[in-house]
This record gives sequence, structure tokens and C-alpha cells, in this order.
Amino acid sequence: MSDLYKLVIPDEGVLAGLRRFFRSILELESIQAILAPVQLPMKPSVMPALISDPDQIDHCDPLAPSFPLNAAKVVSQLTRNPIGGTVAVFLRSCEIRAFIELVKLKQGTLDEVVIIGMDCPGAFQNASYRRFVQSCTEDPGATFFNQIQKKDTAFPGNIDLAEACKACEHFTPDGADIAIGWLGMASEDHFLLKGQTDRGLDVLKQLKLPEAAAPLMRHGAIADMLAKRLAYRDDMFATTHAATSNLKKLTAYLADCVNCYNCRVVCPVCYCRECVFVTDVFDHDASQVLKWSQRRGLVKLPADTVFYHLTRLAHMSTACVGCGQCSNACPNDIPVMELFRSVAEKTQNAFGYEAGRSVDDAPPLSVFRENEFEDVVGIKGE
Amino acid sequence: MSHATGHILVVGAGIGGMRTAMDLAETGHAVTLVEHAPHVGGLLASLDHQFPTNHCGMCRMLPRLDRDQSVQACLRKGLTHERIHIRTDTDIMAIDGDTGNLTVTLRQKSGYVDARRCMGCGACADVCPVDIPDPFNAGLSTRKAIHSPLPHAWPALYQIDGTACTRCGECRTVCPTNAIVLPAGEKSHFRVLVVDDEAIVRESIRDWLREEEGFHVDVADSGPAGLSLLTNAPYHLMLLDIKMPGMDGVDVLRQASTLSPDTQVIMMTAFATVETAVEAMKIGAMDYLIKPFEPDALIPKVMQVYDRVAAMTDQTIQVQAVILNAGTTLYDPSSGKNNLGYQTHPGVVTSLEFERIISNSGPFAGKLVRPKDDRPVQRLAWLQCVGSRDFQSDGDFCSSVCCMISIKEAVLAREKYGPNLDAAIYYMDMRTYDKSFQRYRDAAERDHGIRFVRGRVHTMIIDPETQDLVIRYADRSGDMQESIVDMAVLAIGQRPARAMPKLADMCHLPLNSWGFAETQPFSLTRTAKPGIFLGGSFTGLKDIRETVILSSAAGLNASRALQSGVTKPVTDALPAPRTRDVSRELPAIRILICTCHQALQIDTDLLSRRLRPCPSLLGIDIVTAICTPEGSEAIGRILNASDFNRLLVAACPQEMHSGIRRDLAQMTGLDRNLIDCVDIHTPIFRKGLTEHPDIHAEMAHILDMGIHRLAGANPLASELTPIHHHALVVGGGVAGMTAALALADHGVPVDLVEKNATLGGNLCWIQETLQGDKIPPFRAELEQKISKHPNITLYTQTTVAGFSGQTGGFVTTLEGPEKKVTTSRHGAVILATGGMETPVQGYGYGQSPAILTQKELEEQIATHALNIGDPGSVVMIQCAGTREEPRNYCSRVCCATSLKQAMMLKSQNPELAVYILYRDMMTYGFTEHLYTRARKAGVVFIAYDPEAKPTVMVDGNDVRVRVMEPVLNRVLEIQADRVILAAGMIPSPNTDICGIFGIKPDPDGFYQEADIKWRPVESTREGVFVCGIGLSPGTISESIATAEAAAQKALALLFRPEILRSRTTARVRHSLCSLCQLCISACPYGARQMESDLNRIVIDPLMCQGCGACAAICPNDAAVMDEWLPQHMFGVIDAALA
Repeated sequence: MSDLYKLVIPDEGVLAGLRRFFRSILELESIQAILAPVQLPMKPSVMPALISDPDQIDHCDPLAPSFPLNAAKVVSQLTRNPIGGTVAVFLRSCEIRAFIELVKLKQGTLDEVVIIGMDCPGAFQNASYRRFVQSCTEDPGATFFNQIQKKDTAFPGNIDLAEACKACEHFTPDGADIAIGWLGMASEDHFLLKGQTDRGLDVLKQLKLPEAAAPLMRHGAIADMLAKRLAYRDDMFATTHAATSNLKKLTAYLADCVNCYNCRVVCPVCYCRECVFVTDVFDHDASQVLKWSQRRGLVKLPADTVFYHLTRLAHMSTACVGCGQCSNACPNDIPVMELFRSVAEKTQNAFGYEAGRSVDDAPPLSVFRENEFEDVVGIKGE
Repeated sequence: MSHATGHILVVGAGIGGMRTAMDLAETGHAVTLVEHAPHVGGLLASLDHQFPTNHCGMCRMLPRLDRDQSVQACLRKGLTHERIHIRTDTDIMAIDGDTGNLTVTLRQKSGYVDARRCMGCGACADVCPVDIPDPFNAGLSTRKAIHSPLPHAWPALYQIDGTACTRCGECRTVCPTNAIVLPAGEKSHFRVLVVDDEAIVRESIRDWLREEEGFHVDVADSGPAGLSLLTNAPYHLMLLDIKMPGMDGVDVLRQASTLSPDTQVIMMTAFATVETAVEAMKIGAMDYLIKPFEPDALIPKVMQVYDRVAAMTDQTIQVQAVILNAGTTLYDPSSGKNNLGYQTHPGVVTSLEFERIISNSGPFAGKLVRPKDDRPVQRLAWLQCVGSRDFQSDGDFCSSVCCMISIKEAVLAREKYGPNLDAAIYYMDMRTYDKSFQRYRDAAERDHGIRFVRGRVHTMIIDPETQDLVIRYADRSGDMQESIVDMAVLAIGQRPARAMPKLADMCHLPLNSWGFAETQPFSLTRTAKPGIFLGGSFTGLKDIRETVILSSAAGLNASRALQSGVTKPVTDALPAPRTRDVSRELPAIRILICTCHQALQIDTDLLSRRLRPCPSLLGIDIVTAICTPEGSEAIGRILNASDFNRLLVAACPQEMHSGIRRDLAQMTGLDRNLIDCVDIHTPIFRKGLTEHPDIHAEMAHILDMGIHRLAGANPLASELTPIHHHALVVGGGVAGMTAALALADHGVPVDLVEKNATLGGNLCWIQETLQGDKIPPFRAELEQKISKHPNITLYTQTTVAGFSGQTGGFVTTLEGPEKKVTTSRHGAVILATGGMETPVQGYGYGQSPAILTQKELEEQIATHALNIGDPGSVVMIQCAGTREEPRNYCSRVCCATSLKQAMMLKSQNPELAVYILYRDMMTYGFTEHLYTRARKAGVVFIAYDPEAKPTVMVDGNDVRVRVMEPVLNRVLEIQADRVILAAGMIPSPNTDICGIFGIKPDPDGFYQEADIKWRPVESTREGVFVCGIGLSPGTISESIATAEAAAQKALALLFRPEILRSRTTARVRHSLCSLCQLCISACPYGARQMESDLNRIVIDPLMCQGCGACAAICPNDAAVMDEWLPQHMFGVIDAALA
């Protein structure tokens, strides 16, 4: 039996096809609601919403190049305690991967969700998206996706995809229960639906969809895109490493930080109920601050900006999925994502770990091995 | 609660003595721990790797419940516990009295350095001109006459070897604190008597000693003349000629030893009578000199005695019980015929020396070379049984641990020096009899490429051309073989502790044929003398696991002797401190700086300025010598001002380990936690800054760290954890009964649960012990004690159905007859669920009534059902159920049981032919003697390989055993009237005891220890203790010892109604916690749990050991260690890096 089905694209277009597919899922007895991005009625903003009425499905806008927040946090909130039913969630790849990290950190469970993912076309930074919407004459989501499908990146308003998206090599939804594939499907009349887990297959079976054959062009299309992304990514790593290769450079890199902590608030894997940097741990005695000033002649305040980022790198870089929300949220345009991804690349490689790959990989810092990193810790097994 | 505590003396501070002392201290007793050597740790002070982990784990012995009473640091550096008074360099001179009232005379040797002043800076050693062999490195390196006896000790204290010291005084001139007190005794008061019939000898000695050295010297020209002088006046030393007309020297010695026992005697002998001199040493002479000799030979020996006399101080103490835990010494392979060339051939070293050679802190910095010629080593051989299993050296016993030590050393060597190193062990039987040993041995052969060669090396010669060592041995078929190696490691065996004869004499202890003290039947620790107990290796060499078990057991029995009511209970000497509540005040710190007798020049104003801004600092006071009475007075005056609520003492490392925090707490009414010590002296003296202006910068640095730490100290009193004063013992065999009685005798109510209708377990079928003690009366006595004990409630036909709760307050559900369920609370649990004979498969078992297990044979002997034809033959097959995967362990008792049964059968019918087919005879310790006896009685021993096991053929009534005979090198077929299968033991299989109690089983289903070496009777769950066969196979007395040890551990939990939670205990800040549970998997003690009812992480405060792994993994400090809060540690780190 095949695990491949057809998501038929009607004459009305891709958006209508996706909405129909979501509606059919929501109409299943076994699914109580679906979480998906919707166009807000009062403003052309796109935000995730939990839809339970099939008639509301036409608000949903899965193609909009808007990525105001990483919805993994929302899904974590929905699954921490029993929700009393099964919910389908439509997520970008980086959201799925972040959610998998959160599940490992006991901030959510996979028990009551069916994750639907799609080859990610990428998105704009928040400010860019607003300009894009203003420049669009037709539906922004459909316009964007049309161009992406044609590999046309000259977007209205002269804007570009977010840096995180341009450097993203995880654009296929590997962790989803159901994957929607459009890459390499241009010559077909349908998108590809793939049940990637038993749970996903079960849902697809209930939908009684036509089975699909293995597409011929898809593999090549993915490989092409991956090669482009990796090249971009590696350039980014090189630039960032050069810009942060010592403490002085790093301090300059982060000089505009005002400790607003936006980056950690939007970070999907920063799961602490309250960041340690806003607790009493960092309530320095006034006399201590004076002492620092006396010792060095002057002390910049707030004092803990570099320390804050280093701590967040230490705590979270092994879980970083590279979604780029940190850069999106920075009021002072510090390239936070570039720094995190460059460091995460190293920390994750060091442990043979890839954030978001699988719930079965234990987070590196939760595993103790007596004999590892002997060159680092300096203790050789005698 | 009627737990009586007292003052107990522990003799010997190796790991055994330390274990006993800590156990007793943890159960409320005051302990004096006496050690002959200048440091604690015994043999293991210089051995830093232990199998099976190949690491050190000594710190795992540290107290886990009342942690704040001890210094929780590396035990190799030293032991500090509030209830343990340690006296090193001390010997026992006399023990008088009985349980409850013993008077002990101690004699302490001076190290000539005032321990309170010594800062361990080492300036003295830099100028000392004397080099002598360093015993820490087994004599392979040298040290100075003034030295720190244990290089890694902390605090590092120096002392002078008075015998080697030339009194040049250089060290005194450089010591910054004037800590050195050279021997001051007047030489003219040291009385020497010279007895010799040759005038020239008498007079020259008199000249040397009187004119040159200034001693008082008298001379006598004959034995009787000498004795009469000795009658009239005491002499410290007698120099005594052996060959004199009339009364010879040996006779004089004999009479002198009764006339004047304190006089030390040095024999003077011609070369021809050296053997007589050696004999004389056995009856009390301390040494001998071979004539003719020069002053250079004589004077050091005299100085040695003089030094001892001058530097000794005696003291008597009153104790209620004495535990002798003085270990063993090791065989000196250069004694006797020395056919292995120790100390004559290069490359021949003892196992002890080898371990120092490969140690990175050893004489060659870890380079593997031959000590004598520095030649690199590629081919290594370990020679087993040097001084053991050897009649020629008076060693008809097994030393029990040498096999494992050699395997470990071989593995360490291969791990360290790589696979090109050839490592072979030459052995007779590999005695891998204890838990985990067999698998370790197999892994050594399989994974590390160690070669095991069966054969005893009888000679070693040196090739004069190549300087290679040539070892000669007989292989299994008796053929002579030769091997060439670079280095041969002698696995030296045990000899009684040096102090054994003296101690045995004082305590009237019987000694066995080899000079080791003996214990009572069914006990490995109790002696015939009330109040005297033996622990650890004193009764024969043991590995760490057994040493620890026997040391805990000895402590238990000593403590039990105090419970009888004969003694007056001695309550805790420390009065409860009265504390002032300062929790609502801001930190206000006073600093007390000790200048160590004005060795430091400090300007307090300058120092204060350096520490500013520091709102919590009230002021700095100088004390000249904090450790003196004057110092205490000065402190008293300073502290009269009560404006402070925290005190920081800046002094030497000794103060950090002294009772000063406790004393100051009493003086000030502050909680001890608000008083801290920092060591300013070590860095200042080491850097030579005593009068340098930089002293203030250096001190400010350290004081600032101390201020931050102290400002963050928790001002609230420690919390108390209630302990339910009631114990549960599961299993009514010998271990369970012993454990129940041990606790009940200490006033603890015990529920004893047995699944069968009757008590006894395996005691029900065993007839007698290896030593011939009868079991049935012993069993009856135990059962009677149990039934009559007012503190024991017996539940037969009962099992444990449920178990929950926290340490000290477990909730247990018992299921009795007719499924009747009861629930009760217990503070601690001892599991003794026992084991049974392994069900046999193969060897024709079940096909003929002539094929029996050991247990069946024992029963047939008891009921006289055995009827073997005359002359008849019996074949015993060893390892018929264990020592192979999946049960790859030795059951310890089967070899000795076979010997016992063989001898029982032989005694009934001397003509009976008995064959024992074995792999390795596991007659460890003194049971080796039974093996010898059986061989003498004509029992035939045939070794077989597991690859060629014996086969049993049954044809009707005819039973035959086929086995490959290695000496004849052909297959023997033995017609057998009985075949006895030594099947070994398995743990009791029919309950999921580990599952119910939440503890781990080992790979073979026995209980897994918390640590196999250092915590052998604790399960993987705090408060659940394990013993008996369920823990590991063993003899009856070994099982009893584990039960006593388990009871001792349980008492540490149960002896008081509540336990003060240690200051350093983990805490959860629930409002910050995201419940990610990373801390639960990070906790190595299993102390954290997700409590779903509360939706919180909860901590078992008695399981938590304050390691901080939780705080390290928690990203937002929702998991914190009290007393080490990050906000305060930031301040400390900042100060450290300033």
C-alpha cells in the first residue's frame, strides 16, 4: 500500500486546494480543530488560530510569507496538558523542529496532535511583509507563492526573504505526520501528500484521497534548492565567525543590545517560565557595580548584555532550529540569528546532534558520558 | 529510644578503620582513631586505582546523612569528622579492663613540628640536606628528613624523621612561623648499657657514645654483670654480645625482657652467628650489628632508639570498646631464600612498587622503567603466590586479593602503555571468587589481551649479557618452561600486622598458626574477649568491599556491646547551640585575621580601603594566634561588641578543618553557618609575602571572596527531616535474623517478614561450617532470640506487596496469610531475601540417584542415608552451575564445601576414593589450609578447562565420569559411586523484590550495591540496605557480617528521631520551574521526582548529596543548591578574578 496521495490543485489555485484539504481534515470525526495561520479580519496581518468550525476555513492563509512568531510555542501550550481531543496543526519546518525540541523538554506532547507540514517557501521579516502587502495588487499569499514556484525572487516592494530562510536547509517538513510536497511538482496537477508516520497515514486513509505515484522531478528539485541554501548558509557562517572571532569583536557585534530580551521571548526553544536574567540572580548589588566601575574606570550599563547572549548560547544553541525569530524581534537590528546559527552549527556537530531531528535523540546536555571530549576536559582515561 | 552512645577506640586508620570510625560517629558515638603511620588511609593512600572501575572511589565512604559533621572532601587528603579524634604516629601500649570500662595507654611520637603553626609551605624541605627513601613511593624515590608524609594531604603538615635528621637546624632558620621544635631531650639522660666480654669492643663503644655523642654509658663484661646493672637502674638501650663465656647473649636477652621490658636491645654478633641474632629478634631484640662495625653503623641505630624515647608522650584514655582494625603487612620477598631475586635483580618489583612506578605521582612520573637500571619495559610478568600458598615461607594460606590486584595492574598497564606491552600472569588458581571478579578477569583476557599462564614460577635468573629476566616454571603437564621478561611483578601476600603480637597479647586474643587473630564461631568480628572486636583486614587480607563490610560489622558489634546496660550511657558531648535569629538583618560581617604569632605584618586600614565599597563589612580585627588560649581570649574581647551577625576567620588551612566554627558559634550565639573560615596563610607563606607590601592585595582578594560567600549564607536554621523509628527486615534466614537482632538490640522496633512458615532459610539444611561448628543448635538459638526479643515482631507467611514514601518515612504494605493486608511506616529497610542452590542442568543429573547436588549430599550425610560401597569412589564436579555466562560468577562456598564434604566422607571411610574436578580451587584466605589437608588425606584434584568439561555417563546403575587429566595428558574414565555437583548459588528467584523496592538488581539478579567497593551493603536507594545471599554468595559468617554491616548503616538513619538536613541540599524554586525534568535525569542519587499530584519536582532531602548536577543543568536556576546560590557565587568569582 502506498504512503503517497494526491492533493489535487483545483482551477481556483493552490490556496483553494489547501483550504479544501484542511477542511476535509477538520470534517473528520477524529479531528477536533486545526491550527493554521489566518488572515486577521481587522488588519492584513497573519497569525495562527485554532479553527474548529469548517466554515471558518477560508480565513486560513497557509501561503502568506508572514512569520510573526514561531508557532511551536503555541502548540506547546496546547499540548502541555491533555486537550481532550486531537488537533491538527499546520506548521513550518522550523516550527515543527522547535516543537520536537520542546517535546523533549517536556513542554508539550505529540499524543494529541497531527502535524501537517509543507515544503516551506520561506517568509519575510515582519517589516518587509507589511511593505509587501502594501505593494501587492492581488492576494499577497497567492502572489508570493506564484513567484516562488517560478523561482522569481523579484518581489514587489523590492524586498527579500528573511536571512534565516535563505540559509535554511531544512525546508522539507521531515518531522511532520503529513507532508505536503510541491517542490518538483510543477508539471503535475496535484501536490504530493505523504504520510510520514502511522498517525499521518491513518488520517490520509480516512480522507479517501487518490493515490499518487512517486514524482520524478521532486528529488532533483530538492537537491538543487538544498545546494543553494547550503552555499548561502556557509557564507553566512564564515562572515559571522569572522565578525565574532574574539571577545572584542563579539562585544562590538552585540554593542547595540539593550537587554530588552525580545530575542529570548520570541525564541521557540527558550522554554524557561522566566529567564534567569530577569530573576534575582542578576540583581547586582549597587556596591558591586560601583566596584566594577572603580576597577576599570567605567562600566557600561546594563552590564550583562554579552553575558546574556553567551548564556543563551550555552543553554539553547544545541536546541536552535534557526527559525530567525530572534533577528525578527530585535529592535536594534543585531544579527542574532546569524550568531546563534553559527554557534549552533558547532555545538550541535560536537555532540552529533541535530535540533528537531527526532524526539528519540536526547538533548546533549541531558546525557552524561564518562569518556568524551577528553581533549577539552583534559582528563584522559588512564 | 534507648540508643546508648559511648567512646570507642578504633586502632588503625586505613580504609577499614576509617569506615568503622565514621560508622560509629554517624551513630552518635565519640571515636578515637589511632594510627601508627603519620597519616590516615593505610595502604590505599598510595594506591589510587581500584578494580572493577579502575578509578578511586574512596570519597564514596563519606557520611551521607549528617553531612555537615564531616568535611566532604577527598578522603585521600584526610578525614575530618566532628566526632572522630584522629591520632597519628601513635601506638597502643596497654589495654586493660572489660567492655564498658577499658583503659588504654597510647604513645604518640613527635614529628618535631608544631602542627598548629606549620603552613605546609615546604621552605624547610628545600633546605634540608638529608635524603632518605620515601615510603610513600615504596622506597623508590627519596624525600627529605623533614617532609610531608603524604604528598597529597591537605592541610599539608610537615614532620621530621628524627632518626634521619642531623639536627643541622637549617629548617628552623627558614620556617616563617617558627613551627619547628627540634628534639630537646638531654642526651646525658639517655642510658646505654654495653655488655661484651671483649674489653676493646666495650671501650670503643663507650668512647663513641659517651665522648662523641654525650650519652650516659655503662659497661659490663659478662651476662650476669649486665643483668645486675639492669636490676639496679633502668636503661633505655642495651648493646648485647651474643657469644660470651658462661651466660650467652640470648639467655641474657630472655632474662632482661622480664627484668626490664622497656629496655631496647641491639644484639652484637660475629658473622658466623647471624642466624642466632635473627632468632633473638623473634624473642624481643630490636636489631643486630655484625662485628666488627664502625661508628657509622652503630650511631644511627642508637639514635633511632634515643629519638623514640625522647619524642614519645604517653597518655591514657577511657573507652567503652576497642576495635582492632590495624590491617596486615605484606610479605617481604627478600627474606628467606629469595629465589626470585627481589632487590638483587633489576626489574623485580613487588605489586605495591609496580603501582607506584606506573602512577603519575610516582617516582618516575608514570614512565614504565626498571627502577634499578632505568630500562624501558616491554615484557611484563606477574608472579602469583609470592609468600602465599607456600610452606617454605610459612604461608600455607591464600592472601585473597593478589589475583585481582595483578589483573588490575595488568589492565592498567595495557591501558596506559598500549597493546605492544606484553602482560602475562603466572598463576596456580585464579581466585576470582567475589562479586564481579570473574567477569573482570574474563574481560582482562578478552578485551585487554592479558595472558593467563598456569604455572608457578620457582626461579628467576638474570641473563648477564642482556640483563633480561629469565623466569622458570612448571606448566600444567609438569614440563619445565622458560620465559624472558623485562620486569617481574611479585604478587606479595599477607603477613600479620606488625602490631599483632603485642595487641593480641594485651587483649588475650588467640592467634591461628600463622599469627593472625581469631574470632568467635559464626562471627568475623567478635572475639572471646568482651569489649574487643576485630575489623577489616586485621584477621587476614581482604579487598576493599570485604574490608568495608567487616569494618562496619565490627562497629556494629562494638556499639551493641554498649547497649547491654552494663555501661553508663554517654550522651552527646556537644550541647545544643543557642542561636540568635538574624534572618531579618542585613549581612554585617566582622573579619578576624590570625597573624600566626605575628608572622604577618598587616595594616588593617589599608586592607579595609582595598575591600571598599563593601556595605556588609563592619570591621577587621587582628588576632596574634587564634589557636592559642590567648587567641581565644582576644577573640572574646573583640566579640563583646555584638553589632555583627556574621564572622569571617582568616587563618590557616588547619583552622578550616578545626572546631573553630563550632567554638565561635557557641561564643557568639550565631548559627555555625554564619561563621566561615578562609585560608590566607597558605598563599601568603607559599609566595613569601609575609612582610611584603603586596600582602594586602593578596589578602583582599581572598577576603573579598569570603565576604561574598558569607554574605550569602542562609541565616535560617537547618530544617529537620523526621525519621520513623521503626525498621523493616525482609527475609528470615541467617542474614535477616542477624540484622533484625542487631537493630532490635539497639532499641529499634523491627518488623521481620518471612515468606515461609518458619525461620532459618539455608540454615535448615546445612549441618556444619567449614570450621566444624554445628548449625542446628546455632539456628535454634537465633530463632529463640528472635521470638523472645521485645523489639521484634515476626510476620511469617508474609510478603511485601507495596513500598512508597521518602527516606526515613517509607510506607510498606505487607500481605500475610489469607491475603490479609497491613500497612505500616518504616524509617529504613534491610533486605535479606537470600538465595538457593542453582538448579542443575546436565552432568546426568536426574538420570541416576547416584548423581547429587552438594545440598542433597549434605542432607544425606545428616540423615545417614548415604551408603557408598567399600572402598567406593566419589567424584565432585566444581563449577557445575556458575562461572559461565549467563551466570558468570563464582559462588564462593562450593569449593570449600566440597573439601568439607570430602573430609566428612573420608573420616567415615578413609579408603574412599574422592576426586575433585575443578577449574580454579577458590579456597581463599585460611580455607587454603583445608585444601592442603584434603590433598594430604589423599583427595585427588584434577583441573579441567571450561572448553573440555567433564562428562557424566549413566548406564543403569553404572555411572562414569570422563575428564581430561592435564598431567597425564589423557582422558580418564572414573567409575563413580556418587557424583556430586557443586552447582553454586542463585538469588531467591520467586519475588520481584527489586521492583517493589525500586532498587536495581545486578546482571545476575543479586542486589546491585550503591557502589560495589565502597558502599557494599547499600542498595541503589537511600534507606534500603541489602545483605546476605541476596547480595552475593558467601559463607554463613560472611552473610552474618553483611547483615551486621547493613544494620550499622540503617542505624545511622534510625538512631535519632530527626535528621538535620545538610546545608548543601538542592531546592526547587517552583515559581521559576518549567518542569522540563532535565534535573531528574541529571541527579545521580535518584533524589528528585516529578510529583504529578502536586505538578512539582520534589526532592528527598536525605537522598540529595548536594552535588549540584541539577543546578548545573537547570537553565534558569529554578534548581538551586542552598548555600551556593548563583547570585552569591557570582560575587565570589568576581572577587577571585579581580
